Amino acid sequence: MQPTVKPKENDMKKIKTKTRSKAEISTASLPDIVFLLLFFFMVTATIRTVDDQVEVTQPQAEAISKVDQKTLIRELAVGPPKDALVGSEARIYSEGKWIKMEDIAQWVMEQKQTLPESQRDQMIVMLRADEYVKMGMVADIQTELRKADARKILYRTRQQGGQ
Amino acid sequence: MRSKNLQSESINTGSMADIAFLLLIFFLVSTTILQEKGLILRLPPEVKNPTSVEVKDRNVYNIRINSRNQYLIEKDLRQNLVGLREELQTFVLNDTGSAEWAESPEKAVVSIKADRGTDYKTFIAVLDEVKAAYYEIYGKRVGVTGAEFRLLDLSDPEQRALYDKGRAGIPMNISIAEPDAANS
Repeated sequence: MQPTVKPKENDMKKIKTKTRSKAEISTASLPDIVFLLLFFFMVTATIRTVDDQVEVTQPQAEAISKVDQKTLIRELAVGPPKDALVGSEARIYSEGKWIKMEDIAQWVMEQKQTLPESQRDQMIVMLRADEYVKMGMVADIQTELRKADARKILYRTRQQGGQ
Repeated sequence: MRSKNLQSESINTGSMADIAFLLLIFFLVSTTILQEKGLILRLPPEVKNPTSVEVKDRNVYNIRINSRNQYLIEKDLRQNLVGLREELQTFVLNDTGSAEWAESPEKAVVSIKADRGTDYKTFIAVLDEVKAAYYEIYGKRVGVTGAEFRLLDLSDPEQRALYDKGRAGIPMNISIAEPDAANS
């Protein structure tokens, strides 16, 4: 009997001290979790480097498809300028630059340079145009794109009913 | 004594979480997640000397839009697009073998022609309807809805097969003509 009792007492002591030190919940892993989230966001999101200079309200559509290869996408925004000094006519804007209609071919060439050689013909031009842009302008852009051999075009739209 | 010593050794990391949260919130606010969704289309290549190809009138479904955003669909003036999707499906598939609709789904062409003064929104609405009509046709052939068909993952061989099966023999022939000059 005696030998069994003594260790018991010892165990009790051990447990007591253990519970004492665990009185506070360790939050050491919390920063790790939050950092993980942070890295996830840093990877998936892109910093809006330049604010768009054109006002664009995208039209709604239902039969939309998603593009998987984000790296292939180059964007053209078309709409009336936000700054009244530039005028009220719809203009083309891309990555901090105003682009004239006749410069589109040049722009396409520049954008193609940024892609690896094997993917150059797969470049997708994302047209982010305002609802009330006239089709004449859109058609002119399309003609220019055809001339520059950038024929994959994505009409950026909003999901119907959604955002 | 011993336990006290141990506690003083560990660094308090409570504020670390706060800092990380702050950074996280900063990123949430300052960034946008790119969403590349929309109507994708392949423009025809540029040809130096265009040759006109005769397409039988019955194989072409004409949609015209004027500068007042009114539709002229197969010679009918319309104010809205109600029922266009169903009509397109009967036109493309032509199950009854009517002489009015397309000879075969393969030969069917949907032609959209806008005016220079047409709003982009109106054009997109039409293009959307046409694409939706085609997706519904594809979906029906493999037993899913049009929306489900669009969501098929092409990298998965099983779904890829379904996708190919749905599209087989029915190309999405959408022709976008150069718009006329205004007031013509």
